[in-house]
Parts: sequence; structure tokens; C-alpha cells
Amino acid sequence: MAGNQDALAELYDRYAGLAYGVAMRVLGDPGRAEDAVQEAFMNVWKQASSFDGERGSLRAWLLASVRNRSIDYLRGRGAHERREEELQPEVAYGEGPPDPWREVALSLERAAVRDAMASLPAEQRQAIELAYFGGYTHSEISDMTRVSLGTVKGRMRLGLEKLSSYLRGRGLVDV
Amino acid sequence: MSDGTRHDELEASVAAWVLGALEPAEAQTIAAHAEGCATCREVAVRLRRVVGALPVAVDEVTPPARLRGRLLAAAAASRGRTERPIAMRRPPRPVPVPRSTAQRMPLYAMAAVAVVALLIGVLVGQIAAQRSQGTAQEQVARFTLTGHEDMAGAKATVVDLKADGVALLDFRGLPPPGANRVYEVWLVPAQGSPVPAAVFVPDAGGGKVVLVNRALAGYAVMAVTNEPAPDGSPQPSQQPRLYGNVA
Repeated sequence: MAGNQDALAELYDRYAGLAYGVAMRVLGDPGRAEDAVQEAFMNVWKQASSFDGERGSLRAWLLASVRNRSIDYLRGRGAHERREEELQPEVAYGEGPPDPWREVALSLERAAVRDAMASLPAEQRQAIELAYFGGYTHSEISDMTRVSLGTVKGRMRLGLEKLSSYLRGRGLVDV
Repeated sequence: MSDGTRHDELEASVAAWVLGALEPAEAQTIAAHAEGCATCREVAVRLRRVVGALPVAVDEVTPPARLRGRLLAAAAASRGRTERPIAMRRPPRPVPVPRSTAQRMPLYAMAAVAVVALLIGVLVGQIAAQRSQGTAQEQVARFTLTGHEDMAGAKATVVDLKADGVALLDFRGLPPPGANRVYEVWLVPAQGSPVPAAVFVPDAGGGKVVLVNRALAGYAVMAVTNEPAPDGSPQPSQQPRLYGNVA
């Protein structure tokens, strides 16, 4: 068990800054962001035995969990309303080189993802950001932006496809 | 409604699904459909990979120091209540690539390497000049390494001579590495451990041309660290502060 505690501490030391950054981006509230990060780490830690390293990155799983917990707080939902199996998708997003290269790799990845987002038409970027970081449903985005539901879905699809193509070209996501 | 129309409707919602932007009932409908629909499943997998990259765009924020203690205390308190065995599983690490002769090259040979590199550079330049513009672009690629923090004044131009399977690195503005220290060049694949590529000491003006006797294909990043003389380290011992993309 002691080794498992060490594993959790190692996981936290490695990803706490990223995880807390995501929670703060969604919630903008330090207190709730702390709670969301703690719950996400606990969730990943408890389910670690079912994590399949061949299928994807632990970091992607953790950050998706942080994002989802944060959205739950934002929308006043209980975690029980979320299907946790959705948190471990087939994300083949790379773990990146080991320390001490994490900072370099992360800064390059961050720049690439930001460049990719910046390359999108504003309405596609807005639809993706409102959904992912704002936790809005496509219906709510349709109301907010005064366009049809089909247009919102189309913007999300086109935007994600363009991001996929851009990031694949940089070798940041597997085909 | 035909099956085809139903499929088209559902496929149009896959992006919203992987972004978590559907109402729970809609999400369940799509999930059920995707289980039996290879097309929608493939789209979902591809788009989920992108969604997995989105949080990386966010700046890291240092959490309050108390959070670490809170988390570990909560984990300790949960012992005995956990039904599943807990074990962190790491992705397999790639087998380290053996260092080449050039990487083990002693310092006395470094000057000779620089001369050879310059000669190769001149030769390649002459050859490239004789080729058509399109062919030259296919054969030669240029990248830039940028310095950060205490190496903010340093930079390097990387010339990838693809046809020759070598790269020339033209360093400028490097600070002295220090007594019994050298700079070590690393090639980092998109996934995997850094591979040592060369060691060198800059001249008094902070410049150096270095030959990397290795093709850059398959590597994502080139970086430089300060390591012990004369052969550097088998693995980087510090955070690099001079680096850039080479893909």
C-alpha cells in the first residue's frame, strides 16, 4: 500500500499544475478547483488498475477527469450523474518524453494546440471552447449564438476535424 | 425514418458527444448507436484524441500547497474501502538507443568534426545550388532552436540534410559550459526517451558548428543540456533551456 501512496504522490507532483490549471480555467474559483482536482486524482487512483496504457495516456485520462469534475461543479451536478467509463476514452494522445523533458515537450505541445485552435474560424473555436471549457450543451450554445442546432453541431465537427488534421501533421495525435 | 437517415443524424452529433455537449439522454442514444456502428465509432475515436489534447492548451497553475496533503490524507482514509487492487501501470519505455561513435567522441576530436562539418556544409551548399529549387526544398529542411532563461541569448540553426542522413547545427550566443562541462545535443521522439546525438564545447565567442551523424526523421524535438565532460550523460540530467521542433 505504501508504494501505491507513493504512486499517487508521484502522479500528483507530475500533473498537479496542469490539473489545477484546467480546473481554474473552467471554474475560476480556487476552492472549487481544489475540490475538483482532488476528486479527479482520487478517481484515477482508485481506477488505476483498470487503466490500459496501450489504449491511451494517463495524463489525458486525468485531465479529462479534472475537466468533467469541474464542469459538474459548474453546473451543480453530482459526480454520480456522470458515466465514468466515458472518462477513459481511446485517447491516443501522447504521454510525452519522461522528466526532465516534460516541460519542453509540454511547452511545445501547448504551443501546437494553441496554434491549432487559433487557426480555426472564430465560430468553430467558440463552439468548441463553450462546450469543452464552459460545459454548455449544444442546445445552450445554439441559443447563445442564435444559430441552429445543426449549425452548432457542424461547427463542432468541422473544428475538431481541422484540429485533428493539424495536430496529426505535427505528430501530436496518432492516426 | 430510414436507417440511413437515422445514422446521418446521429453521426452529425458525434462531435458534440465527444465534447460532452449532449444532454444525458442524447449521449446514451449516440453511445448505443456507436457500439454497433463502425463508422461512428471510428469518428468518435479520432475526435476524442483531439479533445484529449485540448486541456494541454491551458497554462499550468501551481495549486495551494495544502492540496497535496489533503489528497494523500483522503487516499489514506480510503484504504480498506477500495475494492479493487490499486497499481499504477506505466506505459512501456522504449529501449535506449546505443550511443554512436560520434556521441562518444573525445574533446580533442571536436575541432576536427567542426571542420568536417563546415566542409560538408559548403559541399552540400554547392550541390544544393546546382539542384532545382523544388528538389533542394525536399532534400534540406531548416529548423531553429531557441534559448530560454539563462540561455535566452543562445540560438541554433539546424540544417537537416535528408539525403545524407546527417544534420548540421550552427550554434550562436552560447555561454561557456563551465569547467569540466560540455553541451550535449538530444533528439526526442514524439513518444519515448531522449536520444543523445552529440557533445561539444563552444568557441570563445559562444559559437560552434556541430555535425549530428544521424537522420532527424522520426524525431520531434532537438534540445541541448549542460552535462559533465568529456562524454556527456546517457540521459539528460537537467531541464533543457535551448530547444525547438525538428519535425
